[in-house]
Amino acid sequence: MVQELLASPPGLMNFAIFFLLAAILLMVILGFVTYAILAERKVMGFMQLRHGPNQVGGRWGLLQTVADVLKLLIKEDTIPKLADRPLFILAPVIAFAPAFLVLAVIPFTDKLQFADIGVGLLYYIAISGISTVGVVTGGWASNNKYALLGGMRAAAQMISYEIPLVMSLLGVILLSGSLNLNDIVSAQSHGWFIIKQPIAFIIFIIASIAELNRTPFDLPEAESELVAGFHVEYSGFRWAFFMLSEYVYLFAMAALTTVLFLGGWGALPFLGFIPGAVWFSLKFSLIVFILIWVRVTLPRLRADQLMEFGWKVLLPAALANIFLTAILKELF
Amino acid sequence: MTLSGEMLAFTLLSLAAIMGGILLITLDRVVHMVIALVFTFISIAGIYVMLSAEFVAAVQVLIYSGAITIIMLFGIMLTRHNDTNQQTAGIFRKLLLLLGIAGFGIAVYAGIYQLDIPPEETSLHIDNTRKIGTALYSRHIIPFELTSVLLLAALVGAIILAKKDSEKGEEEEG
Repeated sequence: MVQELLASPPGLMNFAIFFLLAAILLMVILGFVTYAILAERKVMGFMQLRHGPNQVGGRWGLLQTVADVLKLLIKEDTIPKLADRPLFILAPVIAFAPAFLVLAVIPFTDKLQFADIGVGLLYYIAISGISTVGVVTGGWASNNKYALLGGMRAAAQMISYEIPLVMSLLGVILLSGSLNLNDIVSAQSHGWFIIKQPIAFIIFIIASIAELNRTPFDLPEAESELVAGFHVEYSGFRWAFFMLSEYVYLFAMAALTTVLFLGGWGALPFLGFIPGAVWFSLKFSLIVFILIWVRVTLPRLRADQLMEFGWKVLLPAALANIFLTAILKELF
Repeated sequence: MTLSGEMLAFTLLSLAAIMGGILLITLDRVVHMVIALVFTFISIAGIYVMLSAEFVAAVQVLIYSGAITIIMLFGIMLTRHNDTNQQTAGIFRKLLLLLGIAGFGIAVYAGIYQLDIPPEETSLHIDNTRKIGTALYSRHIIPFELTSVLLLAALVGAIILAKKDSEKGEEEEG
């Protein structure tokens, strides 16, 4: 359905349909974020032998996040007197808008995709880089030393880990011969890239956790040293926007990992009767669970260790992986 | 000129790009200028998309609005960031400037409307990225490699310069 729409001539009707579809996607994402936060807290609770939220909304705390969001929305919106007012207001917008923009290229199933761009993978990486500008701006505009430090750390970390992230993907691009995410999925019909590119997968997962600013790489918001990092001065719904963009990126990154390494909507052999959407959501949930698992298990790195790990371990490993892939591709 | 969706998109994007440029010049604080610059970069990337050059657009966003802007912000934040510009020019100079800009605008406008570009082959936008890759690694391989050597030399030079500075600083401190 969407493929036909994408190929049809532009017009007001098309615009309305896409607008509606995007609004529905936004609602789905908000629903995901609501329950991803709950799931994260529940899983963290169980892994640390606690219960997690269990009061609001029945035994499973199903309404906990809804209550939290409601609290955030009715909180007072404070802007510090000495803050740079226009940038302070603009920063959460710059941080959130790219998070939603990147979802446009991700193919959820063979029929459900919003844009079939030739350079889909590059688009994702390019657009997600803009969020860093929002984070740095927010940190600077707050006029607070902790916020500024957090913003600087975010910028340094995101730039350093973007390089191994892209380099690890070059192996996948070499094997599939395309930057288009649909082509990458169809190239995996005879074996997922997690089997053909195990080194790339490990580097990608590590670098993506760093890009998502999650523990063990959550230095930009290290509570023990920076109070809360780049969003110290933010409160209410502006703070909620920063958090929202973080969790939308969690969604996007898990979806991208599914598409790149786990074969997207493709089924396991003999199980083709299960629809693609179910496969996609199963693989996607697995990745989200692994990301939560890593967060609960590992302690935070030191800033210099983080940089050394990125430049001295991940980058050479990714380069070696490219050479290995190229040689193997030439031989077989 | 007819009003079509393409025209509308082009108008919006070019307006945003020009607005970003004007804001870059007129804003007082340096960080505001960089944010205005980001808007210009992204609008230009939008114009590339309209020209079916999607690879160039993605690279524009990745390199310019992502990496270069962050490095500029870094540089600004690590130095004094409460610098503001002072107005110095008098009214006569401003008038002269306005005249110069208007003259330039008229000249470029006339030049562009007299320019007649013959229609080229129109299949270039299909498999754009692959074509760029093939061209870079076959016909233009020597300039491409030379550029990379030049960039590498610049990188090494920058490291040497930075290293010298810090050694001198340590000596002065000690």
